[in-house]
Amino acid sequence: MKYLIFAVIGAILTVQSAVAADKKLTISVYSFAQDAYKKTLYDPFEEICDCELVIETGNSVERMAKIEANAANPVIDMAVISSHDALALARKGLLQNLDVSKLSNYNDLYEAAKNPLGENWAVGYTFYASSIVYRSDLVQINSWKDLLSPELAGRVALPNITGTQGPLTLFMLSKALGHQGYGFEETIDNIGAQADDIVTFYVRSSQLAQLMNQEEVIAAPVGRFAWSRFSNSPLPFVWANPKEGQTGGMNVMIMTKGNGNEELAYQFMDYWLSVESQTRIANAKIDSPANKKVKVSDEVAEGLTYGAELIDSLNIISPADIIDNREGWVERWNTKVIK
Amino acid sequence: MFQNRLEGLVLALPAVLFTATLFLLPVLVLLSEGFKVDDTWSLQGYADFISKPLNQMVFFRTLKLGFLVAGVSAVIGYATAFSIFHLPPKHRGRIFGLVVLPLMISPVARTYAWIVILGRTGIVNDAIVGLGLSDTPIRLLFTETAVFLGLLQLFMPLMIISLISAMENLPNDAVAAARVLGANWLQVFLKVILPLTKEGLVIGGTLVFTGSLTAYITPAILGGAKVLMLETLLYQRVNVANDFVSAGIIATILITMSFGSNLLFKRIATART
Repeated sequence: MKYLIFAVIGAILTVQSAVAADKKLTISVYSFAQDAYKKTLYDPFEEICDCELVIETGNSVERMAKIEANAANPVIDMAVISSHDALALARKGLLQNLDVSKLSNYNDLYEAAKNPLGENWAVGYTFYASSIVYRSDLVQINSWKDLLSPELAGRVALPNITGTQGPLTLFMLSKALGHQGYGFEETIDNIGAQADDIVTFYVRSSQLAQLMNQEEVIAAPVGRFAWSRFSNSPLPFVWANPKEGQTGGMNVMIMTKGNGNEELAYQFMDYWLSVESQTRIANAKIDSPANKKVKVSDEVAEGLTYGAELIDSLNIISPADIIDNREGWVERWNTKVIK
Repeated sequence: MFQNRLEGLVLALPAVLFTATLFLLPVLVLLSEGFKVDDTWSLQGYADFISKPLNQMVFFRTLKLGFLVAGVSAVIGYATAFSIFHLPPKHRGRIFGLVVLPLMISPVARTYAWIVILGRTGIVNDAIVGLGLSDTPIRLLFTETAVFLGLLQLFMPLMIISLISAMENLPNDAVAAARVLGANWLQVFLKVILPLTKEGLVIGGTLVFTGSLTAYITPAILGGAKVLMLETLLYQRVNVANDFVSAGIIATILITMSFGSNLLFKRIATART
């Protein structure tokens, strides 16, 4: 009889674990800070949902290619991605419209994070500001056009057009130089004419941090998420407040079309957007919160893009303008700047 | 050695299958992308690729740097290999070890060292300013010079090793005999050493040239977007633009250049004899 009881308990546990193992959510995320995300988001969620999170990482192009290649039978249930990449996927019919009534934290988000692509294709979960970092002992930056000034010739780096920061820099330089439209032709031509004065067109913020700490470069546009690399340096780096303002962007959550795992995906998205999760993530200095109810200390806020005033003031280029013009920017950049 | 040919084929089969399925097949799939436009076979991709000035410039820069690195490696390599070859045996091993040592260090570490050396506050600029050659530090990083130096340091050991190996076949008294017969050092090199070590030059030249063509880390770190080479352009096309057509075309060009260089070096070596 004793053995029979053990056998029945064993069978029940096996079935239960099989059920738990069956509850899987496959998410596609950026590669950075995964250890911190595991601690602040993935592990707490797995405890609540009694499910398993399968994490897929990679750069945007790789992750988008995977979503597209498996469109008929999605292997990714939800993903976090830049707003313009999300729009590109939506235009290809690879996303489903979100039922925001299933996101209890939706109304707590900043207005800009709600429905940023229209038709509820996505919901914003983090913002980032971008401005110019410079050496305050060597130069003063008051405007984005100072990047092309004679004082900075040979000491400035710009982001390459192929990265996230590249179009943002063109956007703000165009504004400062008084050029109209989103083709950025004149701005790219200006940069091309001064290409020899630009030390390099950097791809990663880590590379820029090394060059600035090595005193090769004394000013460059950079995302706020990389600010800690500079603020912790013994050199006097300053985050500029140019008269044209700061630029920035937003990363969003999306759900693949017909993945069949929508309920669990909504549960995870809602958990990620909650005050509790966003506060933990903000305090770990991973991502800036999109939930306006999140409160953090001044010390934590210093490293983030935090608060309604700052977020509302950001000059943000629309995802549609990025998608519609990107190919032309790269083409002109390669012709006029890289040469 | 084998009782019949079948035994030999059976023994080779696992390696052949492994190479065919895990190397040749993926390479062919990748290369085929360059011959497709909208899922139909076409050479239009090549025409479009070649017509772009940026691609032409990157191609010629890659070719130029490949030949420069191979040429300078050969010149320095001959002098180094000849002097090492004539060292007493107990010192030869140590010096040869020094030549091989850089190959055991990651190319990433070796390339990052150049960032420190060539930077505004690096030892090269310190020397330039210190010697009064310039009032201010000059820009060396993110130039073709930086990429050339990085590639030269990366691949020159391969040339030296190939030439030392080739010199093992040089008869001990060949150089002395030529000198006795009145040849000057240039004639000794051109008429005796070069013809007898041409295999080493071909192997070394091919390794250095193809290595320079296909190196990614060094041009990416020391050249960046301002000194694009075919390999960094390939990475950009795949990872940024998801453009596998251009990637397939660049890969085909690189493979063709690698095979072509081997034939060319063999031809040059043969012509000299």
